Amino acid sequence: MSAVAAISCAVAALVCQLAQASPAQDYMLHCMGCHGTQAQGVPGKVPPLANALSRFMRTPQGRNYVLRVPGAANSALSDRQLADVLNWLAVKFDASPAASNLAPFTSEEVSRLRHTPLVSVLAARSAVVRDLAATGPAPPAQY
Amino acid sequence: MQSFDRMFEKSARSLAKRTSRRSLLASLGQLLTGAALLPLLPIDRTARAQSPAAGAKPTADEQNCAYWKFCAIDGFLCACCGGTSTSCPPGTQTSPITWIGTCHNPGDGRDYIVSYNDCCGKVSCGDCFCNRNEGEKPMYRLSRNNDVNWCMANTESNYHCSVSVILGVAGE
Amino acid sequence: MKRIVSGVMLLALVAGAAPPPAAAGPQPPPLPAEHLTVAKVGPKSPHWVYVVDYAFNNEIDTRVYLFDGDTYRRIGQIDTGFSPGVNVSPDGKTVVVATTYFARGGHGTRTDVVEFNDTATLAKTGEIVIPPKHTQTLASLFTAAYSADGRFLYTPYLTPAASFGVLDPVRKTVLSEIDTAGCTLVFPWGVNRVSSICESGRLLTVTLDAQGHEATRNTSDPFFDPDKDPVFAQGVPLADGYAYISFLGEVHEVDLTHPKPVMRAPWPLVSGQEKGTWRPGGVQIGAVHQSLGKMFVPMHRGGEGSHKTGGSEIWVFDMKSHRRTARWPVDTKAAGEVVAVQVSQDAAPLLFAATEKADLLILDAQTGRVKHDEKKLGQTPQLLLNP
Repeated sequence: MSAVAAISCAVAALVCQLAQASPAQDYMLHCMGCHGTQAQGVPGKVPPLANALSRFMRTPQGRNYVLRVPGAANSALSDRQLADVLNWLAVKFDASPAASNLAPFTSEEVSRLRHTPLVSVLAARSAVVRDLAATGPAPPAQY
Repeated sequence: MQSFDRMFEKSARSLAKRTSRRSLLASLGQLLTGAALLPLLPIDRTARAQSPAAGAKPTADEQNCAYWKFCAIDGFLCACCGGTSTSCPPGTQTSPITWIGTCHNPGDGRDYIVSYNDCCGKVSCGDCFCNRNEGEKPMYRLSRNNDVNWCMANTESNYHCSVSVILGVAGE
Repeated sequence: MKRIVSGVMLLALVAGAAPPPAAAGPQPPPLPAEHLTVAKVGPKSPHWVYVVDYAFNNEIDTRVYLFDGDTYRRIGQIDTGFSPGVNVSPDGKTVVVATTYFARGGHGTRTDVVEFNDTATLAKTGEIVIPPKHTQTLASLFTAAYSADGRFLYTPYLTPAASFGVLDPVRKTVLSEIDTAGCTLVFPWGVNRVSSICESGRLLTVTLDAQGHEATRNTSDPFFDPDKDPVFAQGVPLADGYAYISFLGEVHEVDLTHPKPVMRAPWPLVSGQEKGTWRPGGVQIGAVHQSLGKMFVPMHRGGEGSHKTGGSEIWVFDMKSHRRTARWPVDTKAAGEVVAVQVSQDAAPLLFAATEKADLLILDAQTGRVKHDEKKLGQTPQLLLNP
């Protein structure tokens, strides 16, 4: 597969960082097995990322949560790769215009937060979703 | 297993000679090829797996453990159980979760990303057991593990057989 | 009369039997009536081995055979459902099984249970219904395991989210569920600690309070490289922790006697020349005779991807010097490759080796002499317990 040139952007908007093939492939190899081909998850078993991840990214609390869930915190992906996959997912599986204006994850932010995995994921999710719901569209609390 | 490895090496070489490039590409379906600047999209093949083309017959390769696509499969080959390498047998359900690996196709020299879904809801098929483990890792690396029952999240979680579905070409 | 007698004698000769001694004499007394009983298990022997048969062709019908390593006879069987975790209580009185049953045999409502079986009778004595999250995977010593005093029983869940249940095996209740942030399996230590292996190569250790709820947790630094040389998840029990053997033959011993694990420097099973060629492989890839200080590992020649290939040799190592003290070839043509090893802990120890042909080899653990090859002990025996 030929290497795809990264598109450089004057403005560091989320969509400009996506012009690489590897986040899609990293998603395939490291996340898609459980989160699904459309990032839809499995009801009751695996949370959706579609129309959810981008909403978590709106607040520091939500971003903190995303980087500390087991699939992210303990993933084999490097900090850079994880940032790229999450940024790619946020736009790919969310049709809302707000999604492409989110501040992208940086590898610095990832490395700062991911190494303390959450102890109780569901409890943390409920708290974060409750707070997000007060300021805009929130991801589902349950799945 | 030693003799199996030797047998596999032999049959992989002969497979490469016998399989034409054209037939291989034809069977790759909707893979994006060429100069796309867009990332390869994960294609939802599981839905298609539930309703294969009428009369789809498994190829002899799909019933052979040495087939390159089965490089890390663990279980019964669905092609021997009424399905194919990309379709679950009638009356079973595809697993929504799976693990995804990479296999080398000696026919065209490429590495392909393959999805090893399980077919669920019936007792063990019991035919064509195949276990290979290229790139497979223990269960703490769940996304590379073929030991666990990937039917675990199905309502009917009994394990029947395993498929191997090409998702795309692996990058360098 | 004479004709009849000679006819009978001819018939007897043709049948290969001696002619009846007294065709003309009295019949032997009749056999007494028999009484139907249930066989007894008998007194426990250090040479018993529990053989877990994963019965791949009929995976809802797995079972455990109790086999006598001296008389070469099956003592009996415990049925173990679908994809079981099996272990024995510290007092040796109970075989515990974590498993799945479907309401209509192969389908229907799923019920996961932890079942208790009395080793003195091989009868089921009780169960705990657990959430339908039992980890359905290949044979492992770490999908159902007791605390050292038998007060807690741990069983990992996988949905695919990872956690583990803490159960009270006496009162038969579920005490808690502990989220492990993706780390898998349960490696108990002491009366209230459980460790779990993480994808990053770290070890998570959770300490429980008296009620079986989480008190504290810690996560180690990575102690192996999951990308370059992953360890088998099938830890080998030691006197003070577990040895995790890697695909390339590095032994990572973890001391769990302290609240935070202490990782000893890894040592190799293979020489520089052998590395990458000779590899450990199978399902139950190591066993240690604690007082002799010897570890037994099935080894094979193979490359990447051969970590489940069974051993064509059994290598023996001294746990103090880390030197290999013996290499015992396996007659793989006759018996198959060795996928599981276990050793009895007595002074005249037996080494048990299950093969991919479903044979159970019984060796003198000190000389390597094969004492017996039990053919076809089950369908796919993959785990051996010698409590």
